[in-house]
Amino acid sequence: MVQALVDGVLLGGVYGVIATGLSLVFGVLGVVNFAHAEFLMLGMYVAWFAWRYLGLDPLLGSVLSFIIVFGVGYVVQRTLIERVLKAPPAAQVFLTVGLLIAIENAALMVFGSEFRSVSVPYQVEGYRLAGIFISAPYLYAFAAAVILSAALWFFLDRSWTGRAIRAVAQDPMASALVGVDTKRTYGLAFGLGVALTAFGGAVILPYITVSPTIGGQFVVLMFTVVVLGGLGSVAGALVGGIVVGVVQSMSALVFPIQLQNLCLFVIFIAVLALRPQGLIKGA
Amino acid sequence: MRKHLSPGLVLLLLFFVAAAALPFFVDPRGHLLRVAAMALLFAAMAQSWNIVGGLANQVSLGHAAFFGLGAYTSTLLFLRFGISPWIGMFAGAALAAFAAALLSFPTFRLKGHYFALATLAFAEVLRVIANSWASVTGGPVGLSIPFLGTKPELFAFRAVSSYYWIILALLVIVCLAFRLLARGAIGYRLRAVRENENAAEVAGVDTFRVKLTASIISAAFTALCGTVFAQFTFFFDPDSIFALSGISVRMAMIAIVGGLGTLGGPIIGALFLIPLEEVANAYLSSAAAGLSQFVFGAILVAAILIQPRGLMAYWPKSKAGRLARKDAKPVTPATPATEGGR
Repeated sequence: MVQALVDGVLLGGVYGVIATGLSLVFGVLGVVNFAHAEFLMLGMYVAWFAWRYLGLDPLLGSVLSFIIVFGVGYVVQRTLIERVLKAPPAAQVFLTVGLLIAIENAALMVFGSEFRSVSVPYQVEGYRLAGIFISAPYLYAFAAAVILSAALWFFLDRSWTGRAIRAVAQDPMASALVGVDTKRTYGLAFGLGVALTAFGGAVILPYITVSPTIGGQFVVLMFTVVVLGGLGSVAGALVGGIVVGVVQSMSALVFPIQLQNLCLFVIFIAVLALRPQGLIKGA
Repeated sequence: MRKHLSPGLVLLLLFFVAAAALPFFVDPRGHLLRVAAMALLFAAMAQSWNIVGGLANQVSLGHAAFFGLGAYTSTLLFLRFGISPWIGMFAGAALAAFAAALLSFPTFRLKGHYFALATLAFAEVLRVIANSWASVTGGPVGLSIPFLGTKPELFAFRAVSSYYWIILALLVIVCLAFRLLARGAIGYRLRAVRENENAAEVAGVDTFRVKLTASIISAAFTALCGTVFAQFTFFFDPDSIFALSGISVRMAMIAIVGGLGTLGGPIIGALFLIPLEEVANAYLSSAAAGLSQFVFGAILVAAILIQPRGLMAYWPKSKAGRLARKDAKPVTPATPATEGGR
């Protein structure tokens, strides 16, 4: 029981970072990015190749994932997403769904359908603390997620660009009037959003194998986290991530493994129905 | 009714006549007829989706749920109890209608993205159940319908043309239903909901009831299509029948590429996309796995960017065409984002 709780928190912290990216994109651009999980997959592949050919540990490779996917995201936003920012939701939904299908299958063509995993020395290690086993890869991924979240908070709160992003999220017109390049800021926010998710994907590589369809396994999870925390709320996404992580590992105690996701879906629909503004207000 | 006989409608009637005659001109067992039947079936599915997605603008990404319910209900009733799929298909439709009503209660207040997300999750729930409840559904291996030769009372035929005509009849019925709904009082109410839900509510439209009616009808027709699909293909499994991109997105995409909320849109969209995909599959699937699906995704992106109002926009007399021309004339060069930011 306590064991499941600890595992859940460690898993959930990473879910938080993964979902923060999605939440950021919605909060700033007002677009629900259905293709978001595909950037997680890209981040995982970058980290895998960095491990395979550069010998980089995925925890370090995640920085590379962050940078490369940031660039990809910026280009995708400026060339595609930007053109539907003012379009009705249906157009946005289908543009990003089209993007999802295209990216997933592009990955299938380029990387092949086989599952790839890394092997790192600490993979099966862990720490014992008062009878609880703390898995090393879970712990390290959690720590990386916490560090990145802190960095994100610092960036959004202190840096000029971070403030510009928050300003554009609040009022694009007013920000443009005070000299913020809104188009560029949208691009940066989208790039940052997908890069956060890619980073999250990279740090979980030691305990999750990557394949072109991995995104599909994270789509609903990601949206559940974001909806729990309130769409557009960055802090909410972190809390939502931990809640989902705990729910997931707790439900594993009761239900067979296939039904784990079912729990998630039911929570997801229930939250949408009862509190679409999220469980945690503000932030 | 007579005064509504516009050129577009005449064209549509001519199309149905030509489609009905097609099996006499091509090989009745050939591949071409199978592709044509599939295109018409997807047209019927997209039209069913169009009832709720186009008229009420409630973008559902989970219609595969109803499609799968139809396929599973009729097939399981037949395999387990020997009940003819002709009866089973209406049982499936009833079950799908019930499921749609049930889903409406938690989702009726949701709009835009939220509605799309909730419906997506609903289809995923059914996919997970179908995969894991193996004692009833047969689990991940799927269900096969035994080949019975020609037994019309059991919805089994040797010739592709028989299925083809059934599918065509289904398409005609769905189109008729769409037109009656769009032209009737409920159509005006749905459009009112689409344009401004709050205003509609204030004007005395029971928005929940209107949307509920539309989604029940839409779900029932989708389930009928599911049964026909199962009988026509003889095999399906949870991952293909409850598929997000294979079914849910494709239904919506056909309607959008053709023209959202228009009568002819789903037909034009299906006739354009399904053969295109078939060609892409035939020539590209040998080149690299995933290429044809990649093309599918790319077309969706391109369609949204090039003409969000769909192919119908190129038909000058249609509403979509008028709206597209209106889009082309921007009111002011820089329209502030009133909807996007928040």
